[in-house]
Amino acid sequence: MIEVEQLAKRYAGGRGRADVVAVAGASWRATDGRITALLGANGAGKTTTLRLVAGLVAPDAGAVHIDGIDVAAQPVAARARLGLLGDARGLYPRLTARENIVYFGRLHGLAPAAAAARAQVLARQLGFAALLDRRCEGYSQGERMKTALARALVHDPANVVLDEPTNGLDVVATRALREVLRRLRDETGKCVVISTHVMQEVERLADEVVVMAAGRTVACGSVAALRAQAGEADFEAAFVRLAYGGAQPVAGAGA
Amino acid sequence: MIGAAFAAVRTVAGKELLDAWRDRRTLWTVLASAVAVGPLVLVLLSALLADLEQRAQAREVWVQGIEHAPGLRNFFERQTWVVHPAPADHERLLRDNAIGHPVLVVPPDFEAALARGEAPVVELVSSAGNPRAEAGAARLAQMLHGYNHEQATLRLAVRGVSPALLEALRVQPRDVADAAQRAAQLTLMLPFFVLLAVLYGALAAALDTTAGERERGSLEPLLACPQPPLALVLGKWLAVTAVAAALALLSALSFLPGQWLLASEALAAMLHYGLGEALAFFVLLLPLAAAVAAAMMAVAIRSRSVKEAQTTATLVVLVVSLLPMLALFGQRGEQPWQLWLPGLAQSVLMGRVLRGQALETTDWLLPLAVCALLTLLALAAVVRALRGAALR
Repeated sequence: MIEVEQLAKRYAGGRGRADVVAVAGASWRATDGRITALLGANGAGKTTTLRLVAGLVAPDAGAVHIDGIDVAAQPVAARARLGLLGDARGLYPRLTARENIVYFGRLHGLAPAAAAARAQVLARQLGFAALLDRRCEGYSQGERMKTALARALVHDPANVVLDEPTNGLDVVATRALREVLRRLRDETGKCVVISTHVMQEVERLADEVVVMAAGRTVACGSVAALRAQAGEADFEAAFVRLAYGGAQPVAGAGA
Repeated sequence: MIGAAFAAVRTVAGKELLDAWRDRRTLWTVLASAVAVGPLVLVLLSALLADLEQRAQAREVWVQGIEHAPGLRNFFERQTWVVHPAPADHERLLRDNAIGHPVLVVPPDFEAALARGEAPVVELVSSAGNPRAEAGAARLAQMLHGYNHEQATLRLAVRGVSPALLEALRVQPRDVADAAQRAAQLTLMLPFFVLLAVLYGALAAALDTTAGERERGSLEPLLACPQPPLALVLGKWLAVTAVAAALALLSALSFLPGQWLLASEALAAMLHYGLGEALAFFVLLLPLAAAVAAAMMAVAIRSRSVKEAQTTATLVVLVVSLLPMLALFGQRGEQPWQLWLPGLAQSVLMGRVLRGQALETTDWLLPLAVCALLTLLALAAVVRALRGAALR
């Protein structure tokens, strides 16, 4: 379970430029056995929120708890319960997929044999077992994505956070990924959080939606509940109403 | 907890070493540029020195119009010099460095003018841009001075004057520098090249483990692992230091076969370089390898790309490699303050090893302490950069 309370983060603008407010009061809760989607336009503060959740960036205000552990107070313990597929998902090109995954398994405290076994299991589950011993330099976007996801799941975390996971994937890879996320929810009861700006993605996958705009959480609930709340039959229209108060956003309005 | 952190350090170091080992192109470039260049330069320099030695002993002179000066030819031959006719376009050849000796030009009326007591003019043609010819010109001028002196002495004797009257004092030049000492100048190059191997060895590995990590987007997942940044930094630093130290060892050892190829006897006699010296070099360079690795990581971790990091890390290379050069060109010899500067200190101490001088405990303890302090400061800076909000 991931609980986010009143998070705020601003980046110093430096040399006469104004500070950039990335997150200004985000509060939500993602429970186990459900897929929670952070929905917002580009620049709504989704990536920064997820970085704050993983403890990669220190918040200016607010707190994050992962399974009850305060990320700011015990970052190492909190990270051990979290699998992160961030915005940056670079692999080591000169290592094979197996070596990449085992390396992170070892850094998550797994014994060499356990890490190797996990790499094998994950590669089979995600469907890239044939690639395991090839170096990553020639991988396609989808293959890289799968390897990075396996790397994030190597320690079998109870909480999984994915930042725009379908970015750059083709239809087949996207459907496969959705299937993987559903299995994570249904078979192992994990708490899955994804961020996205694709409505279709949310409608098909999310049990719970957190709508973000200009660094704030503006609405929470299931897709149906949000449609009802906005009084719109179309989810896209409901999102626009919730995020921007009905008016189409002026370009650049979302910070 | 401590045990787990140690395991993480080992894991990171092992992965970075594997990564560096697989980067064959960089590996070969570093090996070629840092390890092979040293012996190569040594051999080239020794060939040059051997050439100079040979020329210093050569008793040959190239003259245009020697047929006009039979007396001068006789003088040269009495000194067991061999007289050759000069090539017609010697001025151009000298300018182009095509010939390595000066040319003497004798005018047609030389013998007659000499007989009349008119002091005929001979031209000693050389070029300041031609070091080999310049070296020969000084010796040829001395020979001509000898002929001049002989002629003058004869004229005085004919007039019944004692030649001794003309010599109020006598000068006996004595050059205490010998060929071995000139060769010693060249052996000072050795530490410089071993130092370069350390620098270039650390450079590639340090950039890849820091700025490279950020550039390819693998730093964020790494920091999301439940490990203290210190463990990650220590693992990376150990790997970079190991690469730099391995190159130091290889380059120190590569001078062993290198010296078999020495063409100059004086240099070969001067260069006391065996397995013991090679190992002493390696031990002296270890702390420097550690400090340079940490310093380069500290510089590179702030860069967003390897290219950007390369620009700044080149500064470290420049400073550390330039300091020993300053000492090499400096006229004052060894100074106590030199042991305070990393790079320069190691180069000075390696010079002592080459000269067979003993190293006092304080001599190697001071550079070791300086390197240790530098390492600590640089590693602390890397940890701070990873811990802080340097991630965007």
